[in-house]
Amino acid sequence: MKKLSVVWWRAPGGHKPDLVMLGSGVLIIMVCIMAALAPWLAPYSYDAQDNTALLQLPSSEHWMGTDRLGRDLFSRLLYGTRISMSMGLLTALSALVLGTVYGAISGYVGGRVDNWMMRWVDIVYALPDLLLIILIMVIVGRGFWGIFLALILVSWVTVARIVRGEVLKHREQSYVEAARALGAGHLRILFRHILPNTFGPLIVILTFRIPAAILAESTLSFVGLGITPPLASWGTLANEGWAALKFYPHLIVFPGLFIFFTILAFNFFGDGLRDVLDPQNRRVYR
Amino acid sequence: MIRFILRRLLWGIPVLWVVATLTFILMQVVPGGPFDKDKPLPVEIKANVEAKYHLDKPVWQQYLFYLQALLQGDLGPSYKYLGRDVNDIIGDTLPVSLQLGLLSLLVAVMVGFVLGILAVVKPQSWIDRAGMIFVTAGISIPNFVIGALFILWLSHAYKLFPPALWEGWRHAILPALTLGLAPAAFIARLLRSSILEALHQDFVRTARAKGLGEGAILLKHVLKNSVTPVVTFLGPLTATLVTGSFIVEYIFAIPGMGKFFITAVTNRDYPLIMGVTLVYSAIIVLANLVVDIAYAYRDPRVRVE
Amino acid sequence: MKTIGIILAVLGIILVITLISWGPERSRLSSQESKIFRMNLGSEPPTLDWSLATDSVSITVIENIMEGLTRYDEKLQPNPAIAKRWEVSGDGKTYRFYLREDARWTDGHPVTAEDFEYSWKRLLDPKTAAEYAYFLYDIVNAYEYNTGQLKNAGQVGVKALGPWILEVNLKKPIVYFPSLTTFIVTFPQRRELIERYGEHWTDPDRLITNGPYRLKEWQHEYKVILEANGDYFDGRPQLDHVVMFVVNEPTTALTLYETGDLDMVRLPPEAITFYQHHLEYHRIPVLRGYYYGFNTTKVPFLDVRVRRAFSMAIDREELPRVLKGGEIPSTSWIPPGMFAYNPNIGLKFDPQGAKRLLAEAGYPEGKNFPAVTVVYDTNPINNLIAENLQAQWRRNLNVQVNLENQEWKVFLKRLKTDTPMIFRLGWGADYPDPDNFMVLFTTRSGNNNTHWSNLHYDELIANAASETDSKRRQQMYDETQRILTEQDVAIMPLFVATQNILIKPYVKGLQLNAMEILSLRDVHLTPRSRESIQ
Repeated sequence: MKKLSVVWWRAPGGHKPDLVMLGSGVLIIMVCIMAALAPWLAPYSYDAQDNTALLQLPSSEHWMGTDRLGRDLFSRLLYGTRISMSMGLLTALSALVLGTVYGAISGYVGGRVDNWMMRWVDIVYALPDLLLIILIMVIVGRGFWGIFLALILVSWVTVARIVRGEVLKHREQSYVEAARALGAGHLRILFRHILPNTFGPLIVILTFRIPAAILAESTLSFVGLGITPPLASWGTLANEGWAALKFYPHLIVFPGLFIFFTILAFNFFGDGLRDVLDPQNRRVYR
Repeated sequence: MIRFILRRLLWGIPVLWVVATLTFILMQVVPGGPFDKDKPLPVEIKANVEAKYHLDKPVWQQYLFYLQALLQGDLGPSYKYLGRDVNDIIGDTLPVSLQLGLLSLLVAVMVGFVLGILAVVKPQSWIDRAGMIFVTAGISIPNFVIGALFILWLSHAYKLFPPALWEGWRHAILPALTLGLAPAAFIARLLRSSILEALHQDFVRTARAKGLGEGAILLKHVLKNSVTPVVTFLGPLTATLVTGSFIVEYIFAIPGMGKFFITAVTNRDYPLIMGVTLVYSAIIVLANLVVDIAYAYRDPRVRVE
Repeated sequence: MKTIGIILAVLGIILVITLISWGPERSRLSSQESKIFRMNLGSEPPTLDWSLATDSVSITVIENIMEGLTRYDEKLQPNPAIAKRWEVSGDGKTYRFYLREDARWTDGHPVTAEDFEYSWKRLLDPKTAAEYAYFLYDIVNAYEYNTGQLKNAGQVGVKALGPWILEVNLKKPIVYFPSLTTFIVTFPQRRELIERYGEHWTDPDRLITNGPYRLKEWQHEYKVILEANGDYFDGRPQLDHVVMFVVNEPTTALTLYETGDLDMVRLPPEAITFYQHHLEYHRIPVLRGYYYGFNTTKVPFLDVRVRRAFSMAIDREELPRVLKGGEIPSTSWIPPGMFAYNPNIGLKFDPQGAKRLLAEAGYPEGKNFPAVTVVYDTNPINNLIAENLQAQWRRNLNVQVNLENQEWKVFLKRLKTDTPMIFRLGWGADYPDPDNFMVLFTTRSGNNNTHWSNLHYDELIANAASETDSKRRQQMYDETQRILTEQDVAIMPLFVATQNILIKPYVKGLQLNAMEILSLRDVHLTPRSRESIQ
C-alpha cells in the first residue's frame, strides 16, 4: 500500500489564495447586496398576489415561479434574504458583544466569581439550543424581535466560553504585568491590551455564529414558530413550499438552495478564516 | 473511578434543578399559563389545574408543591388533553423518539466512520476532496431541506418509501437518514482531522520504523487514538439528535416526543412543555455522563480533578 | 481494537433492540391487508363524547362506532335504525319510537329507551354545558331545563315508556324530526358507566358503544383504530379494522395514498388540477358553508358599518381560483342544494362603497384602524384564504389585519373562552333543512360564536321551522338571510365547499353524500395487488 502521507486540504494562511474561501466570500457579499438592495432588485412586491398566475413554474415573467397566491417567488426570496440575513448578522453581533463582555469579565476577575459565572454558562451550554430557543419564544412571542431575543439568549454562551479561555490565557502574560506595573487600571488592561489580542478568534466566532442564527431562524419559521405573515424569511418560504412539495417542488427547492449555499459559504469562509487567524485551532467554534 | 462517577452524577442534579426552577418561573411569567388567573380557561381544565397546582397558595408554596411532585415523578396533567397526564403522553412518545434517535445514531456512526476513514486512505484524491465537500455540505444543509429532498426523490418520484408515519421498518428509513446525516458529517470531519493529527505523532514514526504495514498502523494504532474526540462528541451529538428530532418527527408525522413538543408549544400546553423539557434535559445530562465516564475509563488522567 | 469492538457491540445491541421493538403488533395489522381500511382524519379528534362533540373530525369517528334511532339512506331520507318504526300524533307534536329489541351494546346489554332518555337529558343538563344543547330545544321544557329555570329533568318532554318505547313531546310540530334523530347528539348513552367513570368514559378500554365498529385503540395525534363489532344488529361489517390516521399535512396524506398506505384521501388545492381527470377522483358538492365570523362585542366590529365595509371589500370570485376545487363563492348563507337557497342575497363586492362606510365609521382610508387579528385553525386551505383576504383588505380598505392560526382542538376552545375579532369557521349540515343553517346564529345557539343577538331574527327562525306553506317559508328565510348577511352582518359568508377526494378502486360500498357523512358500515375491499397510481 502507498505510504500514508499527510494531507494538506488547504494552504495555511497567506501563501496560496484558497479558491474555495474566495468563492465563499464572493457569495456572501452577493447575498448581502441582495439583502440590502431587495426593494430595488425585486420585480414585484413580496405580497402582491396575482390570481391569474397561481403556482406557475419558472418563466420569463417569474424567474422562480409563483406560489399558491400568485406571489412572485424571486421577489419573496429577495425580501426573505433581507430578513434572514439581518436576523443572522444582528443576532451574531449582539451575541458576540454580550458573550465577550461576560466572558472577559469572568476570565479576568477569575476565582470564585469566574467559577459561578461559568457554572451558568455550563448549564445553558448543556441544554439543546433549539429547545431553549423555543421555550424563550413561548414567552416573548413570535415575530422578528421575539426570535431575535431568543437567539441571542442562547448563542452568547459559546462566545463567552471562548472569550473567557482567551482572556485567561493572556491574563498571565508578561505584557499584562508590565502594563499593571505602569499603573494601568483593570478596565484599560482588559479593553486596550487583552481583548485586541482576541480579535482573531472573535472574528472567526462571528463568521460561524451567522449561519447558526440563519439556520435556527429558518427552522423556527419552518415549524411555524417564526416570522409572521405576510413577511417571509427563507424558513417561511421553505414551509410554504414544503406543503406543495409534490407538485411544485420549485417552491421549496429555491429557498432550500438559498439557505444551503449561504450557510455553506459561511462555513467554508469561516474555516478559511480560522486557518489564517487561529492556526492552532484547538477550540471548537460551532 | 467510582468517586469520579459519583461526582459527575452529583453535578447533573443541580443542572436539572435549575432547569426545573427556570421552567417554573417561565410558566409563572408567561401570559395565559396555567397560573394566569386573568385568562379565561375552559371550565373543566380550570378545575383540574387549580386542584393540581394549588393556585390559591402563595407562589413559594406552589413552587414546593411543584418540586415535590417532580421528585415523585409526577409531571402534572396536560393542559390540552383532558384526562391525560403528561407522564402518559411521554410514556407513549418517548420510546418512539428513542427508536428514531438510536437508528439515526447508527446511521451517523456508520456513515461518519466510513467517510472519515475514506478521506485519509486515499489522500489528495478526488474521493477525499469530494468526501470533504460532501461533509461540509452535510453540516450546512438544514434537516428540513434534506428531508424534503429525500421525500421528493424517494417517496413522490420513486415511491420506494412512505413519506410519513411510523408503522414498520419501511417508515423508519427516510427519517433515520435525514436525522443522521448532519451528525454523520460532523463525525466524519472530526475523525478525519483527528486521524491526520495522530499521523504526525511520534508513535506512528516508531511503528513505521518497526516495519509495520500501513494498514496495520491505521487500524491498530492510529484509529485507537483518534476515536477519543469522536467519543467526546457523542455528548453534544445527543443534543443535536434531540433538536433534530423536533423537525424530523414533524415532517414525517412520527408520534414521538419531539412532535408533541412542537404541538405543545403551538397549543400552549404548558405542563406538557415543562415535562418534555425536563425529560430532554435529563437525557442530555445522562448522555454527557456516559460520555464522560467512557472518556475517563479510557484516559485515567481525567479522573483526577 | 478493544474500543472499536466495544463500539461495534453497542451498535449491534442498539440495532437488535430496535428491530425487536417492532414486534408482532404491527405485522399483524399489515398482514391481513384486504380487511383493513385506512384513511386520514386530518387532525386529532377533540373528544369522543357525543354530548360534547361539535366538530366534523369527532363526528367522523363517532358516527362509525355508534347508532341512533334513525339513519340516512342514499337519498338522505331518515330510515329506521335502532328504532324499527315510529308514530306521529295527529297534531304532529308527539312522536313514539318503537325500538328493536335485538340491538346490543358491546358489553352485551340491550339498547333501551332509557338509554336514549338519559342521553338526551344529559345533553340538556346545564352541568354538561353541551354546546349542542339547543339542538333539542323543540322538546317541551328542554330550553327551560337547560337554562336552569327548571330544575326537575323529569318534566322534560322525552320519556321512556318501558324499555322499547321512547316518547317525545314537542312544543310545535317539527316535520323533519326523524332527521334530527340521525344526529350524534341524540345517540344513546349508558348512565351507570358515565357515572362511574366520569370524564374517562370514552377511554378506549372503557368506551361501550353500539355501532358497526368499536374503538380499539387511540394513539393521540397519531391514529384511531376501530375494529368490527361482531354483535352489531345489522350484521358484522365486512372490514376487520379501520385505521384513521392523524396526518396534518394534506400533501403528505396524498403521497401516503400513492405509496399505498392510505385507501382514501382528500385532495389539497394545488393537487386538484393534476387529478381532475383521474379515474379515482370524485368531486362531491356538499352542504357546507365556509365563513368568517365577527366578534360583534368588540371594537371595531361593534360598529355594523365596519362589518359591512369588510364584507363588501372582498371579491369572493378570487377564492375558488385560489382553491381550485370548484368551490362556489357565496354572499348568502343557505347553500345551493338546500331549500330556500337564494344567491341574490348578501353584500356584493363594492370596494367604493366599503371605503365610504369605513370612513363614515371614523376610519377614513383606514387611518387609526385598531389592530385586528384573524384567527383560524391550521390547515392549508384556511391559510390560503386568510392570506388572500388579508391582501384584499389591504388593497381595498387600506387596512392591515394580522393572522394567527391554532390547532383545531385548541381553536375550538379559544372560540368559547376568548372569541377572536374575526374567526373562520365552516358549517356542515346536521340535517338537510335550512333551519339547521339558520338556527346556528340564533341567540340560544351554542354554536353561535359571534355574540350577536337579534330577537326578531330568532322569532322568524322559530316560526319558519314549523311553517308548512313553502312560499311563506321561503320568504321568511329570505328575510332572515338578509338580516344575517346584509343588515347586521354578523358573519361574512365566503363560499360553499366541495369535497375533492381520491378513493382506491378496490374500495367498495363507500357512500358519498352531500352531508359528508362517512359511513364505513358497508365498506369492503376487493382483493388487489399493491399497485399505486401514477
